[in-house]
Amino acid sequence: MHLILFSIISTVLLVCAVGVVISRNIVHSALFLLFALISVAGIYLVLLTEFLAIVQLLIYGGAIVIVILFALMLTRNEEYPRIQNNKLWPIAGVLAVLVCITMSVSYFQSGAIQNVPNTIAPAGVKSLGSSLFTTWAIPFELASLVLLVALIGAIVIARSDKDGN
Amino acid sequence: MLELIHFNILSVLLFSVGLYGVLARKSAILIIMAIELMLNAVNINFIAAAAFNHGNGLFTNFDGHILTIFIITIAAAEVGLALALILRIFRNKATVNVDSFDIMKL
Amino acid sequence: MQYFWLIPVISFIAFIITSLIGNKILKQAWIFPMLAIVLGLGIYCFGLTEYLQSRFDLEHCFRSSVTGMVGCNYSVEWFTAGVRGADSVNSFLGFTVDPLSLSVAGLAIFVALMVQIYSIGYMKDDPRFAWYYSVQALFISSMILLALSDNFLLLYVAWELVGLCSYLLIGFWYEKPEAKEAAKKAFTVTRLGDVGLLIGILLIWIEVGSFNMSDLFTQVGSGEIASWTIFSISGLLFLGAMGKSAQFPFHVWLPDAMEGPTPVSALIHAATMVAAGVYLVARAYPLFVQSEAMMIIVSCVGLITAIGAALICCVSVDLKRALAYSTISHLGLMMLSLGAFGYTAAILHLLAHGFSKALLFLGSGNIMHSIDDLNINRMGGLKSVLPATTILFCIGALSLAGIPLLSGFWSKDEVIVSIVHNRNIVFAISSMVLVFLSGFYMIRLIIVPFFGSPNRDYSHAHKLPFVMLAPMGVLAVVVVLFGWIALYMPGAPASFGTFLFYSHPKNFHLEPDIAIITLVITLLSFGFGYLIYVKRFSIFQNMRIKARLIIEIVENKYYIDELYQILVDKLVLPAAGLVALFDRILVNDVGINGPGYVTRTVGSIIRHHITGRIYVYLALMTTGMIVLGIIWLGIVIL
Repeated sequence: MHLILFSIISTVLLVCAVGVVISRNIVHSALFLLFALISVAGIYLVLLTEFLAIVQLLIYGGAIVIVILFALMLTRNEEYPRIQNNKLWPIAGVLAVLVCITMSVSYFQSGAIQNVPNTIAPAGVKSLGSSLFTTWAIPFELASLVLLVALIGAIVIARSDKDGN
Repeated sequence: MLELIHFNILSVLLFSVGLYGVLARKSAILIIMAIELMLNAVNINFIAAAAFNHGNGLFTNFDGHILTIFIITIAAAEVGLALALILRIFRNKATVNVDSFDIMKL
Repeated sequence: MQYFWLIPVISFIAFIITSLIGNKILKQAWIFPMLAIVLGLGIYCFGLTEYLQSRFDLEHCFRSSVTGMVGCNYSVEWFTAGVRGADSVNSFLGFTVDPLSLSVAGLAIFVALMVQIYSIGYMKDDPRFAWYYSVQALFISSMILLALSDNFLLLYVAWELVGLCSYLLIGFWYEKPEAKEAAKKAFTVTRLGDVGLLIGILLIWIEVGSFNMSDLFTQVGSGEIASWTIFSISGLLFLGAMGKSAQFPFHVWLPDAMEGPTPVSALIHAATMVAAGVYLVARAYPLFVQSEAMMIIVSCVGLITAIGAALICCVSVDLKRALAYSTISHLGLMMLSLGAFGYTAAILHLLAHGFSKALLFLGSGNIMHSIDDLNINRMGGLKSVLPATTILFCIGALSLAGIPLLSGFWSKDEVIVSIVHNRNIVFAISSMVLVFLSGFYMIRLIIVPFFGSPNRDYSHAHKLPFVMLAPMGVLAVVVVLFGWIALYMPGAPASFGTFLFYSHPKNFHLEPDIAIITLVITLLSFGFGYLIYVKRFSIFQNMRIKARLIIEIVENKYYIDELYQILVDKLVLPAAGLVALFDRILVNDVGINGPGYVTRTVGSIIRHHITGRIYVYLALMTTGMIVLGIIWLGIVIL
C-alpha cells in the first residue's frame, strides 16, 4: 500500500521536477515547481510526518512559490522565451547523470542504510515540538534572527533609490 | 516493502534534476527554482533517515525533522534575498540572463 | 611578608603611569617612581621585621633541608603543561623570602631610592627626564622580581627585563653614537650568556619536570640527577651569570656601559644588575656545590676576571671606566669567593660593594656634573672645589680598599679567609695580589683627581645641589656602619653569618694573621700609590718606560675587544652571510615567493579563460565534487 502510494507520488514529483527544468515557458516552470513541492509534502505524509507536510505546503507551496511568481511578474519582459539553455547544457546533463550515478552507488555501498529497520516511526507533533523547544531552543531562536536579517536585507536591496533611479 | 533506499534514490534523482536546472538554464529565476528542488531533495533524505532510524545510532529521533525545519527557514530567507538581488540587477541591467551577470570578470 | 609581590607591581604601575603621562608632568616625573619605591621600601622594612621576629611561627615558612635557612614561600598556580590530571606538570608563580632574597632585594630597593633622589638633581634638565624615571621604575620592578622569584622561569623573565632596562638606560642618550653602540654591545654580549641560561633552565625542566627551585634542589640533594647533568646545568647557569656579572670573557660590555647616565651606572652597573649573576650562582648554590669541577671553574673565572680587571683599572684614565673595571674586579672576587665555598662572604661582599660602589659612582657623577669631564689626568686638586664629594668618595674608596671598620673590610676579610681555607696556595697568593691591586687603584683614584696640583681651571665648576649630596651622605653612613652586621645583626641569632649561610651557620671570626697580612698589603699599596702619584719618584718613571710593552697591553685591555672584532669580522659575519644566503634563497625565494610566483603565473594564464559566468564555475565545482566522490567510492569499495 505504502509502496504504491510512494511510487505514484514520486513519479509525479520527478515528472514535475523535470518539467521545471525543461519547460520553455517560465510560468509553466513555476507551476510545475508548485506541483513538485506539493508532491514533496505527499512524500512527507508517506513518511508519517504530517507536521512537516503542512509546513511544506504553507511555506514552499504558499510563500515561496508566490514570491517567485511575484518576481516573475516584476521582471516580466519579452526576453524569457529567448533565454533558454546556455551553451553548456549537454555538459550539464552529463554532470547531472554522473552525480546521480555516483551518489546512487554510494548509497548502495553504504552499510548504515541497509541496516536500518524497515518500519517507519511516526513523528508526533507534540514530541517534535518539545524537542524543538528544549534541545534545539537556541538554534531555533537564532533562526528567527536569520529570518529578520534576511527580511531587512531583502528590503534594503530591493527598494528603489531615493532619487528615483 | 518500502525501504529507506527508495527515498534515497528519489532524493538523488530529484537532486540531479535540480542540478541540471542550475547548470543548464540561463534565467536567474529558474536557477533559483532549481535550487529549491535540490533543497527539497535534501529534506526528503533527512526526514527519511530520521523516520527509519527510530532514534538509534548517531542521531536521536527528531534531529532530521528539526534540521528540515531549519532548512526550510533558511530556504525562505534565501529565496527572499535572492529575488531581491535579482530585482535589483534587473532594474540596473533590464535582464535576468545570467550571461550578463559577469561584472566580476577581470 | 606575603605582600612582597606588591613591590614589583607598584613599581610597574609607576612605570606605566610615568611613561604614559610623563610628558605632561615633565618637571615632576619623579613623583610616581619615587612614591612607588618609598612604598616598596616600607613594605620591605615591615616584611624584614616580620621575618626576623617570627620566621619560625609563620605558616608558609619552613627550614630548607638543603640550605638550612628558613624560607617563606608564597605561590599561586601559574599554568599547567600537558593533559590536566593525567601526566600534567603544574607550574607555580610565586616568590620566596629567605635571607638571600631579602639581602639582594634590600640592597636594590635602598640603592635605587638613593639613586632616584640623586637623579632629581643630576637629570634635572634632560629632555627625556620622564622616560628616564619610568625605565628606572621598570628596572626596580624587574630587579625585585628577580630577587624574589622562586622558579627559574620567572627568574628568566626578570633577568631579561633587567637586561632590557640596562639596554635602554645605557643608550639613554642615543644621539651619541658611542652610547648607541655601547647599548647594542651590552645587549648582545649579555645575550650570549643568556642563551646559556635559557638552555640551562630548559635542561632543568627536562630533568626535574619543574621550574621550581626547591624541587630542583630536593632532587639534586637526593642524588637522583646524574653528576654530568648537574655539571652541565650549573655550567649553563653560570654562563648566564658570567654574561650578567661581566666575568671574563664576557666582561667587555661593562666598561662601555658607562656611556649611560652616571646614576644609572651607580644603580644598574655597580650595585644591583651586575650582581644578579652572583645572586644567580648563590641562588643555585645547592646545585653548584654538588659539582667539584664547577666550583673550581667558578673560582678560576672569578680569579682571572678579578686580577685582569684590577690591572686595567690601575692604568685607566677615565674615572667611570676605572670604576667599571673595579666593579668587574670585585664581581670576580665574589665569584671567587662563591667558588671557594665562601657563601656568606660573597653575599656580604656583594652588599658592601653595592653600597660602596654606588657611593663612588655618585661621586664621579658629582665630578661630571660640576666640571663635565671624566679624564683623571685633567683633574687634580678637586678637594678644594668639591670638598664634600671628596670626603664621600674617600669613604667609598677606602671601604672597597679594605680599610678596617669600613664595611668593605669585613666582607673582604671573610672572602680572603674562605679562599685561604678552601683553595690552594696559588689562589691564596693571587688573592693577596688582588688585595694589593685594589688598594693601589683605589688610592690612585683618590690621589690623582682629588689631591695634587690642579691641572685645569675650575672657575666654571657648577655648584652641587643638596638633593645630590644628601643621598650620598646617607650611603656613606651605611658604608661606614653596614659592615658591623658581620659581627652583630639585630634580629638574627648572632651575626650575618648566622642569618645567611649555606648548610650550617657560622659566626664571623676575625683571623688575626690573615687580617694583618691583608692590612699590611693594603697599606703597602697605599704607600706605592703615594710614592708614584704624589712623590713621583723617577724610578717608577723609568720602570714605566721599561715595562712599556706590558703597560700598553694592559691599557689596551689585553686587545680582547680587537680580538672579538676580528672574530666577528672573520668568523661570525661570513657565517651570518651564509645563513642569510640560505634565508634569502631557500626560505624567501623558494619557500615564500615560490608558491606565490606559481600561483600568480597559473592565475595569469587561467585568467584569460575565465568567462565570469556563474554556471561555468558551478560546472567546474560539480566536476570537482564528482571526482572527489569517485575517489572516495574507490577507497570504500577497494
